[in-house]
Amino acid sequence: MVEASPTFEAPRRRRGPSLRYIADSAFLIVIIYAIMAVVYIAVQPSALSAYSVESLFNNSLPLMLAAAGATFVILQGGFDLSVAGTISLVNVTIAVLPMEGAGGALALLGLSLLIGITVGAINGFIVAYLRIQAIAATLATMIICQGLALVILKAPGGFVSDFIVYELTGSLIDRLPIALVIALAIIAFWTLFSRLDAGRNLLAVGQDRKAAALSGINVARTEFLAFVWAGAFYALAAYMLAAQTSTGNPSAGEPFLLLTFAAVALGGTAFGGGRGGVTASIFGAATLMLMQKVLFSLGVSSFYTGVIQGMIMILAVLFSAAVHHAAKARGGS
Amino acid sequence: MASETTATSPEDTRTSRKISPTVVTVATIYGLVAFMIVASRLVSPSFGGLSQLETILYLSSFLVYCAFGQGLVILVRGLDLSVASVITVGGVLSASLMDGSNDGLLYVIPTVLVICALIGAINGIGVTVFNVPPFIMTMAVGIIVYSLSLGFTGGTPRGFPAPVLNDLMQSRVLGIPSPIWLLIAFGALCTVLQSFSSYGRKLTAVGNNPEAAYVAGLPRRSLIGSAYVISALCAGLTGILLASYANGATLRMGDDYLLPSIAAVVVGGSSILGGRGTFLGTIGGALLLTTLATILSALGIGQGWKTVMEGGVILLALILLRDQVFDGLRAMFVRKD
Repeated sequence: MVEASPTFEAPRRRRGPSLRYIADSAFLIVIIYAIMAVVYIAVQPSALSAYSVESLFNNSLPLMLAAAGATFVILQGGFDLSVAGTISLVNVTIAVLPMEGAGGALALLGLSLLIGITVGAINGFIVAYLRIQAIAATLATMIICQGLALVILKAPGGFVSDFIVYELTGSLIDRLPIALVIALAIIAFWTLFSRLDAGRNLLAVGQDRKAAALSGINVARTEFLAFVWAGAFYALAAYMLAAQTSTGNPSAGEPFLLLTFAAVALGGTAFGGGRGGVTASIFGAATLMLMQKVLFSLGVSSFYTGVIQGMIMILAVLFSAAVHHAAKARGGS
Repeated sequence: MASETTATSPEDTRTSRKISPTVVTVATIYGLVAFMIVASRLVSPSFGGLSQLETILYLSSFLVYCAFGQGLVILVRGLDLSVASVITVGGVLSASLMDGSNDGLLYVIPTVLVICALIGAINGIGVTVFNVPPFIMTMAVGIIVYSLSLGFTGGTPRGFPAPVLNDLMQSRVLGIPSPIWLLIAFGALCTVLQSFSSYGRKLTAVGNNPEAAYVAGLPRRSLIGSAYVISALCAGLTGILLASYANGATLRMGDDYLLPSIAAVVVGGSSILGGRGTFLGTIGGALLLTTLATILSALGIGQGWKTVMEGGVILLALILLRDQVFDGLRAMFVRKD
């Protein structure tokens, strides 16, 4: 939050994975995830069974998608609390419109994206063009979306079509969960996106708004689009959540409010913007969900899993900040 | 991010008569609350009177207490997401320690408040010494504390608050419920603390420009840390009073106060970026939200539309209470010499 001195760091090319590369990429969180996966496989012999792998990825995917969306907004220096409301709203919409078959699933996907993008565009308009603080504005839109979700569906219920529930939570060619394929697709998408102008603008605006504006970036439009992307990803998260729970719940999004930001923080994306990425957040979300399984396998009472989750969140932020600091000191910028 | 905070500063106002935007905001909010209460007579004949005002003051008092702490943290550019968990700690701990008897009252309340203050201190140390972003720090501490109270109670909170406290919440002094006296005393004390004491001015200075405050020799870290401690104390107090009011504690009792506490501060005209805000405005924000909720309930509107309208009012307040709008108003009323 502290205003940085107005220096603009030009992206530099380096040979080999430097400390800066490690600090700026998803490198750390991938390592943490790998270590946790090894622990999980060691303590839980059935961890590698097809069912277990499939259910792990199915459980994690909605949070991965939500965290991916939130990252767009956080990277450019904003906040988006509307994640909870948007997920609830899309979730109940799917549950009250049971359209069968592949066509129905596609129609619902389109409708979900439309809702998500609309909410994102409203957020983006209020924040980028009406110049209202993101936390405050998205707090209001989140409450409105939660209300609309309650209007559509008063109590948990509804019905999600069989195609969505069964086809989207299964596996391709024997042992490749569709959820994993979707996660990999998002990572591939981000790898491409972050190399395009739109992706670079996002980071540039997050690093230094004034410098970005002076170098000819349309800051307001970049901010607006970040919220639109976020909305679209929240809609995808809600869609996959409906597939996984096979029912609608007007408060389905509430658990996502804090978990999404926890996943982004765990991934090492800096709050305040300018550093991090969607890949890191996806691994952050995966780590968070895997951690629950590991703690359960280790016999930690479910009451106390929160204690360890909270501590790991703080440690991850401290660690990532320390590595970044070290990289900066050695980089001699 | 910090570029908007100084939106009103460029024009030189030393010689022109100045209407402070804060005064306009606070007056607007209280005007709106008064209007809503009077207009609510149209909704139900039993509304619009003093008894409704009493109900609103009573119900909003809990929100006011925790919103004060939230307001101080926001003033120093932070955000306290642990409010909900600390309210739960205050309620659950006081109920189980008092266990329905008046005997331990004198030591229970200080013990609970000290524990809450320690939680706040952890938040403060994490934010100031270890530079963890407030959003993450208070969220993580909130998760940890909630998880601990879940384990402490085994999932089902036991015990009851002391009967004395429960009686106090229902008693009247001079015909006015005691909790409203408490609200008035708290409001007066904390307004002085935030807006008219040297401590409050220092907090505002730190929130306005941490570097400048540091250069000016203010103990930045302890000032910011103290805001988190006060916030946790206020949340703990809210928990104790809520448990006394409801004659028992639940693990989710704080959940309904986290987002409203932020909303009350923001609707009350404080900048979420810090450095600007008054407690009177926050109280107004809390009253506005509570009044709206009671009127919408009385209208028999379903929970869904009620929530939509609450969000709409927050959004409307944000759009209308912007600096640009005030600059426009000032330009209309103030003659520049």
